[in-house]
Amino acid sequence: MQAIKVNVNGDVRDAMVEPDESLLQFVRERLQLTGTKEGCSTGYCGACTVLVDGEPVNACLFFAVDADRRHVTTVEGLSGSDGTLATLQRCFIEAAALQCGFCTPGMLLAAAALLERTPSPSEHEVRAALSGNICRCTGYQPIIKAVQSAAQALRREGASAPPRTPQRVQARA
Amino acid sequence: MDTVIGTSRVRPDAAAKVRGETVYVADLPVHDALTAVLVRSPHRFARIRRLDTRRAAQLPGVVAIAHRDTVPDTPLDFGIKDQHLFPREYVRYAGEPVVAIAAETLEQARAAAAAVEIDYEPLPCVDNVEQALAPDAPLVHPDWETYEHGASRVLRGNICGQNRISRGDVDAALARAHVTVTSNFRFSAGIPGYIEPRAALARKEADGGLTVFCGSQSPYGNRDDLAAFFGLAPERVRFINQFVGGAFGGKILMAAEWYAAALALQCDRPVRLVFSRHEDGLNVFPRHGGIATFTSGAAADGTLLAMRASFVFDTGAYIGYGAGTGLIATMLASAPYRIANVDLQATLVYTNKQVAGPVRAPGGPQATWAKELHIDEIARRLDMDPLEMRLKNAWEDGDVSATGQTLRSVSVKEALRRAADAIGWQKTRAPGHGRGIACSWWFSSCSRSEARVEIRSDGSVHLHSGNPEVGTGSAAAALPIVVADRLGIDPSAVTLTLADTATKTYDSGVGGSGSTFSAGLAALQAAEAVRARLIERAEDLLEARREDIDLHRGKASVRGAPDHALSFAEIAAGSGGSISGSGTAPEIGDPEFDAESVESHDFASWLAPSFVASAAAVRVDAQTGRVEVQRIVTAQDVGHAVNPTGIIGQIEGGAVQGLGFGLTEELRFGEQGIENPGFQDYLMPTALDAPAIESIIIERPSGEGPLGMKGVGEPPVTTPAAAIGNAIRDAIGTVPYTTPMTPERVWRAACDASAQGPSEYSSRST
Repeated sequence: MQAIKVNVNGDVRDAMVEPDESLLQFVRERLQLTGTKEGCSTGYCGACTVLVDGEPVNACLFFAVDADRRHVTTVEGLSGSDGTLATLQRCFIEAAALQCGFCTPGMLLAAAALLERTPSPSEHEVRAALSGNICRCTGYQPIIKAVQSAAQALRREGASAPPRTPQRVQARA
Repeated sequence: MDTVIGTSRVRPDAAAKVRGETVYVADLPVHDALTAVLVRSPHRFARIRRLDTRRAAQLPGVVAIAHRDTVPDTPLDFGIKDQHLFPREYVRYAGEPVVAIAAETLEQARAAAAAVEIDYEPLPCVDNVEQALAPDAPLVHPDWETYEHGASRVLRGNICGQNRISRGDVDAALARAHVTVTSNFRFSAGIPGYIEPRAALARKEADGGLTVFCGSQSPYGNRDDLAAFFGLAPERVRFINQFVGGAFGGKILMAAEWYAAALALQCDRPVRLVFSRHEDGLNVFPRHGGIATFTSGAAADGTLLAMRASFVFDTGAYIGYGAGTGLIATMLASAPYRIANVDLQATLVYTNKQVAGPVRAPGGPQATWAKELHIDEIARRLDMDPLEMRLKNAWEDGDVSATGQTLRSVSVKEALRRAADAIGWQKTRAPGHGRGIACSWWFSSCSRSEARVEIRSDGSVHLHSGNPEVGTGSAAAALPIVVADRLGIDPSAVTLTLADTATKTYDSGVGGSGSTFSAGLAALQAAEAVRARLIERAEDLLEARREDIDLHRGKASVRGAPDHALSFAEIAAGSGGSISGSGTAPEIGDPEFDAESVESHDFASWLAPSFVASAAAVRVDAQTGRVEVQRIVTAQDVGHAVNPTGIIGQIEGGAVQGLGFGLTEELRFGEQGIENPGFQDYLMPTALDAPAIESIIIERPSGEGPLGMKGVGEPPVTTPAAAIGNAIRDAIGTVPYTTPMTPERVWRAACDASAQGPSEYSSRST
């Protein structure tokens, strides 16, 4: 077991983890943050996408020990501490960008990372950024629309990133 | 009363889903649950010489082991009793579960699995449909003659299903046709593609009953099957459905539930079995692969005179829920066209593969793709516009189907015209660009479904339906809309209890495009009953005549005197604390048809048929065979659009699943069984592959459906691949007659066409 200190959704968590424990196991099993989903365990479906220092990663392929002293954002960290939905989440609801909802958490985080980098993405940029996240229900069209309308709303709000996406932190010591 | 039905609504379950709060089976707290693993057959076909679990049972942490000798000897009954829960003498596909083990930890369960001793004697396999039908083929079920089966089922060696629809004199009509065309097709097996792998958590109760937490399309049917198998009274077995991470027909039959239950019944601890993607892939109930041959004749003016079609479907090792595919395929083969002379046959064969199942629109994409490519081939031979060819032959109101069903509320021509207009059918195409169109019909299902609506003393409105929410929104979105509409409230004010057999609101499950239809009818009746009781009570309390009472915004008020009103809470309080009403959708039988036209066919007429057309625009690179689908338009007749947002979701999702069937998705089988059980090399379309999609909703009310509804979920997955295939041929003059139409196959077809011209035509002029 190895000691790690991870900032998860704004809370610093100290934990002992197995050397081969994935970040997905860490958040789902140790932290009981089950919003992050396990779809394929091989990095192809994107359902387990979380942000590490603002960058989207497949948590199933990312070792928990590699998250030591870094910032992790899961779907539970997207909305405000008072429960207010983030703009992106609101846009997903309004655009009917989800059906079964199983890909949704990963899709939201991949989209959040895109909007942080690229506040005005083209349709193709949105599609490319989400191409590692498989959705079997919607045909993607409403998801693309939701991300584009979130981009527009965030620009209007004068923000360059969706609320609650954690600021980048210093690299690992 | 405000109209809620037909308005676009935000899904009541959406907020929890974007917050990551929605609970799926694998998210349930586990507490003291044991972890289960399965030992699967490494062989496609083998005799089990010896099965010994004694060493495994002695390993640390092992609590329960289930296999052929620990469960009842009763065969499962899916029309043919060809399967046991655990294989007894033979394993018949690679990946077939042979032993289930529950242990304290996953590592301990895996160690025990490795310690199970099984001696197999490998046997010669049946790899595909051609081999299955060969005279000297090995038999997948050597003792098939001893199996019991239903009267309408055909069982003969490797053939486990056969049906036929015939009418008129096909040979005579072909002989006088101006042109006859024969086309041979091959389609691949595919997976349903839900992202949530199957999982179950089972717990034995103190009274000897069993509770199963599941993510099923059919919790009541599963409960009944499981209770019957283990000899338990149904009411002592409780299935509690969770939110489901996609299903698409793949979660109708039980998988994880069976094994978790078999283990839990042996111990006093809950047993949790969560499939990895790899395991889910080995345990999948795939869409049927197979072959089809069509021969049709047409007059010089494009009138279709005769069609002979035969399908052979690869149904895998056991019949499961695979039989419907053959029945549906013959119903689709000549539809939706007036053809006086038809001979349509489908055969199901056993092979040593996974058990094919009812994946969203079973048989639909396959049969529609083959039939509609064939129709285009005839049109090309006649130098006729494919749209004009379809419009010339398509059904109208009052026409009869191949089985003699008189058709009402037929909208296929409108669907064709609107899809064609939206894709820009008449516009010229740039080189390498093509457009294609395809149409079909589908059924609605009205199966038994029960619902209960309750207004509690606080005025809150609760809906209990047995219809599971699998993602489509049939339960979570459509049913609250129906109830809210009747009670004059907002759908978000209706609290839905997910399917739970303890609520005793039976439902036949999600399938057959029947959820909003059947469960909607039950919910409508329940809401009507509550509405009547509310108004009856309000009549006394408000001292007004019932015809003057309106239900509006959670109140009963007297028309013309809106202040003279009572809240639902006040009415409920005055009625002993709550008001409730129940509804039951009956099983509605299929319409009349001509029994002389069919053999071994028990799905020969369709309730409240729906019609659908898709048009596609593609760009094809003939040098590489790469197909870029730029747009898909689907025009679908839904009868009455109860939940338009949900319908558009079905059409858009169906378009991309249809695209996957047509272009990329292929379940490959080799010496070791499935070669691509994961997502890395089974290619489902991504956001970059998906085209722009336009949905056109047509509302031509059905006579039979509640509120005029027609089934919605399956039709839109049937036509896109056919429209894409026809668009490919429009672009480059040829199209592969094999799915998926991969770049390599498109490129080869282009090479063959330029080398020797079309190879599978046969035509003659009279």
